[in-house]
Amino acid sequence: MLEGLSENLTNTMKKLSGMSIIDKKTLKEITKEIQKALIQSDVNVKVVLNLTKEIQRRALDEELPKGLSPKEHVMRIVYEELVYLIGEKPEPLDINKKPYKIMMLGLQGSGKTTTTAKLAKNLKKRGLTTAIVCTDTWRPAAYEQLKQLSEPLDVPVYGDPKNSDAVDLAQKGLEHFGSKYDVIIVDTAGRHKEEADLLDEMKQLSTVVNPDEVILVIDGTIGQQARNQAKAFKQTTTIGSIIVSKLDGSAKGGGALSAVAEINAPIKFIGTGERVDDFEAFDPERFISRLLGMGDIETLIERA
Amino acid sequence: GGRFGFITTKTIKEDDIEEILENLELSLLEGDVAFEVADTIVESVKEDLIGRKIKRRGDMELFTTNALKKSIYEIIDNGEYDLLGDIEKVRKTGEPYKIMFVGINGTGKTTTIAKLATYLERYGYTSVLGASDTFRAGAIEQLEYHAKNLNMKIIKHPKDSDPAAVAYDAVDHAKATGKDIVLIDTSGRMQTNANLMDEMKKIKRISKPDIVIYVGDALMGNDATEQADKFNEVIDIDGIILTKTDADAKGGAALSIGHVIHKPILFIGVGQGYDDLIEFKPEWMIDQIFNEQEAEA
Ligand SMILES: Nc1nc2c(ncn2[C@@H]2O[C@H](COP(=O)(O)OP(=O)(O)OP(=O)(O)O)[C@@H](O)[C@H]2O)c(=O)[nH]1
Ligand SMILES: Nc1nc2c(ncn2[C@@H]2O[C@H](COP(=O)(O)OP(=O)(O)OP(=O)(O)O)[C@@H](O)[C@H]2O)c(=O)[nH]1
Ligand SMILES: [Mg+2]
Ligand SMILES: [Mg+2]
Repeated sequence: MLEGLSENLTNTMKKLSGMSIIDKKTLKEITKEIQKALIQSDVNVKVVLNLTKEIQRRALDEELPKGLSPKEHVMRIVYEELVYLIGEKPEPLDINKKPYKIMMLGLQGSGKTTTTAKLAKNLKKRGLTTAIVCTDTWRPAAYEQLKQLSEPLDVPVYGDPKNSDAVDLAQKGLEHFGSKYDVIIVDTAGRHKEEADLLDEMKQLSTVVNPDEVILVIDGTIGQQARNQAKAFKQTTTIGSIIVSKLDGSAKGGGALSAVAEINAPIKFIGTGERVDDFEAFDPERFISRLLGMGDIETLIERA
Repeated sequence: GGRFGFITTKTIKEDDIEEILENLELSLLEGDVAFEVADTIVESVKEDLIGRKIKRRGDMELFTTNALKKSIYEIIDNGEYDLLGDIEKVRKTGEPYKIMFVGINGTGKTTTIAKLATYLERYGYTSVLGASDTFRAGAIEQLEYHAKNLNMKIIKHPKDSDPAAVAYDAVDHAKATGKDIVLIDTSGRMQTNANLMDEMKKIKRISKPDIVIYVGDALMGNDATEQADKFNEVIDIDGIILTKTDADAKGGAALSIGHVIHKPILFIGVGQGYDDLIEFKPEWMIDQIFNEQEAEA
């Protein structure tokens, strides 16, 4: 199905190949195909409409750069607009103080706890020591899950399954580890925009933890809701970066793009499996190719 | 009805409804109905509308609404699964009724097992929970907590042991102790992972469930079709439970899944508590789609 889609896009783009100027009708067709590709990749409909409006405007207004065919010109605009949204280069996780406090945030089952362990492993490879605080008082065995994930990594976890006060757990956890570790990651319970109590809890956690970076974990398979959920999260704390999980399946991860558009924080890593090693630095170019269902975007851009 | 403020009789032509259909398609897409499914619905509404005669103001809206409802019903109404009746039938033979839960990672399988066990207990059925997710960290302990909270029996093996063997033992236990229901938890897996899909098939082969339930997340987008299609192909799904519908999700995934595998939705999950499971009615989907449209109007 998606193969067919990229084929459509490629075929429509081909129409431009022979043209020396961009005509409105073809541009409209191309815009439609781009919209289709992005919506099918789960980018929010409103984000897509804004994006393609701008693409259309630029394609018509901007003079065709010397040496570029109309096709290359349009493709470059599409790429530039997407890059404008998600950033050109992967932004590194910059650990600039000790302890650097990271707090995880996200919907139920999005992958926060697994990602916490992946991050700890990643930091360890960089020579940084990490400790983890479990503040999830909702999900049964949240503490045991963290314990089992971090034991092989030799990363300590603070938690207390008997304590049902997340804010208290955060406070005690931070005190427990003091400044012995380079990084402290605070894992939190899953929550969504309709759970007022849990959103309020996030606000309190944010006050008490005073995180240096809040990471929003976005499920790669999420659809249109990504935008509204991100919007609700933004009102509880300042989100510094995004990690997209579950990109080892067939989902395209467009929900993450909608979240980026909403909260204006960069994607720093992606999760590509269940194991702690299934974790990669975010690669904007590859992500855009995936969104558009086009494998050859890199070569197109290089030539453009 | 400003746009159709004419009174004389008129036959609907494609041009008249282009804008309506475009808006309809957008709101379906915004409700997470997968692209190809939204397309199918819009096409069927279009076919239904073209050629109809409009006699009065408001006809157009009425026709469109009805056509849309009809189309949605066609997709979502895949018969009702008579779970309780099915259980009764099997119980009469003296065998336990076995339910296996499958789905991708983190959709809510384990939580839903605890909810369904609670639901079935209300009808007097005793359950045993089989901890066949031997892979994910903390999965056995998670199900164990639920069993403890609900005062139910759990059958478990050490982490990383053979999930099919756990399922087999859970069935065995139910037979030996006269329990009515066996609820088999399995690891979340991506439908693209062939090894894990094979493992799931093996669990089914060994435990011979009466029904396989696919647990899908109401927040998921276009991938819903791919996921459901692949799981159905590999393991033959009997019914669906859609979770996390409390998260303000429109749940278009229900339509996406229904369209590709034509299997009934049994329940929807509406929260994290044990009672947050309600029986699915096709009207729910209609409400979801139409509430959204009203909110936008
Ligand atoms: N395939 C795959 N599975 C993943 C990935 N990241 C996480 N998971 C799985 O997704 C499921 C949920 O992950 P968790 O880490 O428990 O998610 P969570 O956000 O902590 O969940 P809650 O605490 O219940 O809100 C588990 O089965 C994980 O193994 C990934 O990148 N790929
Ligand atoms: N809000 C809400 N949360 C839910 C619902 N169903 C499950 N959850 C939450 O979703 C998260 C994941 O649920 P699990 O039951 O662990 O999901 P799973 O499919 O067993 O996950 P894996 O075994 O890791 O694949 C937990 O935090 C649950 O509390 C629901 O209907 N509504
Ligand atoms: Mg967690
Ligand atoms: Mg589970």
